[in-house]
Amino acid sequence: MDLDKKTQILILDDEPIVCKRLKPALEKAGYGVETFTRSLEAMHRLTEKTFDLVITDLKMEGLDGMAFLTEVKRRTPDTEVIVITGFATMETARESYQKGVFDFIAKPFKLGEILDVVRKAEANRRQSQS
Amino acid sequence: MRLHQFLETLLRRGRQKETEHFLTRLFHKLQDLWLKSFSRQVHQRETEYSFGKLFKKFQDILTANNEALELIADMGDKLSGEYIFDRQYILSVYEQLKAQVHNLIFDLNSLAPRKYDKLFNRFEDINEKIQQDLTGKWILPRGDAVIPYAALSQDMNELVGNKNANLADVKNVLELATPDGFAVTTSAFRSFLEWNQLYDQLQHLFASWDPEDETSTEQVAEAVEACLLNGKFPPELIQQIDKAVEVLQKKYQGEPLSLAVRSSAWGEDGVHSFAGQYKTYLNVPVTQLPESYKKVLAGAYSRTALAYQSQKGFQIHELAMAVACQTMVRAKVSGVVYTMDLSSPEEDNLMISATWGLGVPVVKGEAHVDQYIVCRTPPHALCELTVVHKPIMMIAAPEGGTKYVPVSEDMANRPCLITEQLEKLAEMALSIERYFKRPQDIEWALNQNGNFVILQTRPLNIMRQPGCSMDDIPHATDNYPLLMHDQGVVVQRGVAAGQVFVLSDNADLSRVPHGSILVTRHTSPRLAGVMRKVHGILTDVGSPMGHMATIAREFRVPTIVNTKVATQVFKTGDEITLDATQNRIYAGRVRELCYHEFTSEDVFEESYEYRLLRRILRKISPLNLVDPHDNNFNPVGCLTLHDIIRFIHEKAVEELVQSGDKIGTSDVSTKRLKFDIPLGLFVIDIGEGIRPKTSCHDIRPEDITSVPMQAFLDGLMQPGMWSNDPVSVDFGSFMSSLTRTFSTTTGSPRYLGRNLAVVSKEYLDLSLKLGYHFNIIDAYISDKLNDNYAYFRFLGGVTDVSRRSRRAKFIGEVLEQFNFRVEIRGDLVVGRIKKLDRPLMVEKMRLLGCLVGYTRQLDIQMHSDEYIGQHLDDFLQRAADIKHRSEHEES
Repeated sequence: MDLDKKTQILILDDEPIVCKRLKPALEKAGYGVETFTRSLEAMHRLTEKTFDLVITDLKMEGLDGMAFLTEVKRRTPDTEVIVITGFATMETARESYQKGVFDFIAKPFKLGEILDVVRKAEANRRQSQS
Repeated sequence: MRLHQFLETLLRRGRQKETEHFLTRLFHKLQDLWLKSFSRQVHQRETEYSFGKLFKKFQDILTANNEALELIADMGDKLSGEYIFDRQYILSVYEQLKAQVHNLIFDLNSLAPRKYDKLFNRFEDINEKIQQDLTGKWILPRGDAVIPYAALSQDMNELVGNKNANLADVKNVLELATPDGFAVTTSAFRSFLEWNQLYDQLQHLFASWDPEDETSTEQVAEAVEACLLNGKFPPELIQQIDKAVEVLQKKYQGEPLSLAVRSSAWGEDGVHSFAGQYKTYLNVPVTQLPESYKKVLAGAYSRTALAYQSQKGFQIHELAMAVACQTMVRAKVSGVVYTMDLSSPEEDNLMISATWGLGVPVVKGEAHVDQYIVCRTPPHALCELTVVHKPIMMIAAPEGGTKYVPVSEDMANRPCLITEQLEKLAEMALSIERYFKRPQDIEWALNQNGNFVILQTRPLNIMRQPGCSMDDIPHATDNYPLLMHDQGVVVQRGVAAGQVFVLSDNADLSRVPHGSILVTRHTSPRLAGVMRKVHGILTDVGSPMGHMATIAREFRVPTIVNTKVATQVFKTGDEITLDATQNRIYAGRVRELCYHEFTSEDVFEESYEYRLLRRILRKISPLNLVDPHDNNFNPVGCLTLHDIIRFIHEKAVEELVQSGDKIGTSDVSTKRLKFDIPLGLFVIDIGEGIRPKTSCHDIRPEDITSVPMQAFLDGLMQPGMWSNDPVSVDFGSFMSSLTRTFSTTTGSPRYLGRNLAVVSKEYLDLSLKLGYHFNIIDAYISDKLNDNYAYFRFLGGVTDVSRRSRRAKFIGEVLEQFNFRVEIRGDLVVGRIKKLDRPLMVEKMRLLGCLVGYTRQLDIQMHSDEYIGQHLDDFLQRAADIKHRSEHEES
């Protein structure tokens, strides 16, 4: 098994339960997953490693998700970003799409739902790269 | 002194309690004043208010009622594990619910000024408890000091420790035999510390502790142990313990009561096993219980325990000790089961060790023990047997404590267990493993009657090897044919491997084998009977919101419903792996998936958020107020938010009817409905629900223009549901029971002995007493899909309880088949459905009409469970015929 071939995903959510539950589910589906509950640590990790996909919450203490995803897109425009949030408004949705977010999922969500979106984002990325 | 100065003074003087007390009194006073002025206003308005306007208020109540029930149901759904939710969700959904319930109380009190203001207090009490949970005060929780095992549940583990909580689930959920007894809680520990003023002392000692330094550890351990052992008992605590002992003594009269006293700390037997770190005292005479209790407390701070805790990163303030006090099992044989062979997990075996007498030597590894390696797959064949010479055994000494005695030569060389016992033990162990979703390390005993008793169970932690072949799920699953995927709805996540057993709807449940994956056509509350046996469930049809779904979650059985095709795809005997987390089903046993499930980082059901949601739902969703005629049907009887909601709905209808009577019929028309069925039904029209007509007091069904009412009557009058006797119904006797009821008006005086419908063009609220059944139907049907709903409540009576609950099951199953959200409590059935388009809603109302017509005959007939299935088939057939007929007529 070649670890490098796995699609690499970074998850950022300040509620540990979200990371705890997403990580095994995505790993089970064959992805490489790193999780963070603090945006600054996640931000630091971006400087060390390029991720194929980023899943981030919007509302967080410290640096918020919108700033984080802006930074992701600035660094690696190819990285697909999926936003998960419990406070979905049209306004934030619009803003995230303008920043190039791939999709927007309202919390609570089903595991199947996010796996679908991840697969689509992965396909999208592959298509745009080929 | 001004108010704020007064409060400041109190606070400055550290008089927190008095400040709180003062504020509470102030609050109630203000509330009182407000209610008085409010009631005056309402009273003034009452005379001005038309019935129509009161009805508007009533409708607000119904809307809030439905929304609140939806929120509760949504919260319940989140427990399936299919959703990822966080603490924020729990907080915000509870805020919404709270607002709805508050509105309901407010609105009811404006329908009936001040009459129900006690509800505010009940609401505040319940809310306060929930808020305590939500703010997450979980270090040294306050609660009962002593709780009997029968009253324990998993979500109390912070109060009773994991050992107690696990064992309580084995006993109360899985219904396996465990020792009787009680838990002395962490709250008792807290009061023990407070009483002896030990908090500061201990803090001080721990502050001086250097975990790296062995001498320091030893000194601290000794000092802490001394503090605890010298502690005195708070009188209240000793009283509670004595009371619990007395209950046990009464229960086991004639036998000298002695106890096993075991530690049950927070972290213990959870993710970190703490195995062997804490103390257990066996065969403790009740007189020595307090001493043993203190010894167990002190054991939490022994040198080895402290070293272990600091190594595992436990904060010392997290160490709260609960204690398990169990009746002593005088074992013939004792031992341990590991549900997985740790040295070779790929072998799919479980390991059993056993010896004569008590099990301590096995646990401590002191004695020679027999080893059995048994296959995990039923019928659990014995793969390997090692019998050793066992010359001595430990027994309970008559004077208390334990002692070793010699074993007869014949027994010493004989294996302790026989094949049937191994099979039974394996079944029990795998049930426990399935429930806790981790391989288990289980201590068991075989009692003098030859029955197995589970003494304790804890997870067996297996480390996942990174990069190991068992870890690459996508690759591994490629080797197994995928039989089905993404069909239906996941009710409970999880993975199960086993043999399929297809159960036809009316088949005998006792034939379902242990450990099988059950495949059925319909979901059914009836399956609760086998829920402990099966490892997975698949159904063709059924609702994820029904009663069975709730039970599947309770037992954590991986379940997918509404797959459409399961009974066609699978046949009895097929080996399959059901992955209800990813909604995929494979041929064969995908061991990698099971292994992955066992080693995944967290068991969802043990996460803080899951437990929090469950814990608050316990104060929200159970329904205790069932029968409006019961003595507890009053605000004080409301123990949960659901009770409050139910109470308000009942009273709102009553108030509306009474104000209708009071106000008279100035802008309301009360008519009597005349038709072939003697319902004795009065109809109040509050807006285009009846065709405008002369002042005639009688109307016919064709005069009804209310959409839901029309559909309901249509269903009720269907010949198939009404006059054809499904199983030799004595129509005459039915009629006589009907007339008897109406002529003597034994029904509630609140409804003045009459049946009543409040209607408008889109709306129906129907209170119907038919024979001995009491139905409430509340529905709104318009072209706006989002506003549409139907609510159905059925309450029976008179016949014996078992027949009543059969009838409730039948109704529940019918409603589930038609995709209602169903709840059954005793013989109360509540069904709800919403947000369907108008034609579909009309169809549902027609169905309810059919159901009401059909069920009025069922009282006398439900002699046995078989009738449930028979009637279900019969009813579904009739409903299908009717649908077919009406479609035919339309085309």
